Amino acid sequence: MSELIAPAFRRAVIALAGGPGDARIVRLVAELAKPSHAELAAVHVVEIGWSLPLDADVAGQSDRVQQILDAAEAVTEEMKVPLDAVLLQARDVGAALVDEAMERDADLLVLGLPYRKRFGGDFAIGRTIPYVLKNAPCAVWVVREPKAEGQP
Amino acid sequence: MFVLVVGGGKVGYYLSKELIESGHEVVLMEKDRGRADQITDEIGSVVVAHDGCEGKYLGEAGCARADIVAAVTGDDEDNLVICQMAKHHFDVRRTIARVNNPKNEALFRHLGVDEIISPTRMILASIEQDIPVHELLHLAALGEGELEIIEAHLQDGSPAIGRAPGDLTMPPGCSLFAVVRDGVATPLLPDMTLRVGDKVIAIGPSDCSASLHEQLIGDNPEAVTPGL
Repeated sequence: MSELIAPAFRRAVIALAGGPGDARIVRLVAELAKPSHAELAAVHVVEIGWSLPLDADVAGQSDRVQQILDAAEAVTEEMKVPLDAVLLQARDVGAALVDEAMERDADLLVLGLPYRKRFGGDFAIGRTIPYVLKNAPCAVWVVREPKAEGQP
Repeated sequence: MFVLVVGGGKVGYYLSKELIESGHEVVLMEKDRGRADQITDEIGSVVVAHDGCEGKYLGEAGCARADIVAAVTGDDEDNLVICQMAKHHFDVRRTIARVNNPKNEALFRHLGVDEIISPTRMILASIEQDIPVHELLHLAALGEGELEIIEAHLQDGSPAIGRAPGDLTMPPGCSLFAVVRDGVATPLLPDMTLRVGDKVIAIGPSDCSASLHEQLIGDNPEAVTPGL
């Protein structure tokens, strides 16, 4: 049986949503990046409403935000893979991720997708992932988390 | 400068686009979700897909920190409400409204909209300037709109021909202050004799047109431009 070979990438941007799925995605991408020494950036975007200026000091004062970035770095340190963890403030998460991927000339953008059903009905994909899928210039991987125990 | 534009029609779209290209921070409110998505695709994530007539959504769009609010929807009523809320509830320094029906201009001014833009009035003025009118021509409104600068083109049959400005009976608050003769503008002196072809420039209350017409144009039907 032939060995599964991961597609090569030079530079990847990982979106950190701040949920339990972040560590899984960071580990997955770091494992794939390690053999080829690809560059990794992890980005957490804090959405700022229009009632505040974009440079308002909102995220910088939040311990929670720092924990999200620290958790991602902890995963890659353990694997000895360099990671640039950054915080962004933006009006729209999807647009910020696409801009960041373009600015870094990334050839891969990775997002996590929590498995959530809206009011027990349809599976909810949100608006960030469709935006990124539509607008990102590079490859996009969407990593859906497993269904929780007891979910249909 | 932070500009809040309300109304994502052609005017709002191009206004926002130009402002963004000039380096300003812009948010555009458009209540139609489909149109809002279309604009987002074209100019980026600057669109709030809500009705700007609702104070809650104006607040969410950052009205309280806006330097300018421009209400450019196709509805005069909406534009007035938006400017009123921006001015009196959110304390916005400068409000600009598009007024589609020229008859609403006075109301907008009366209710404190800082600047009104009337495309209808502008086109009307442009048309009037291109037509060889015998009528009075309204050149510009002054102050809060209570005063107007008016031009009268004197033709054969005008009761003012051969008379001095001082001999004419002007309506209260109205005065003649200049004449354009052979393409040269000069101050109108009391002893000057008015001639055929003179363009007399007057300033006065907006309701003085009828009296001015009587004094400078006369009631000769030939002096009235048909169809206007």
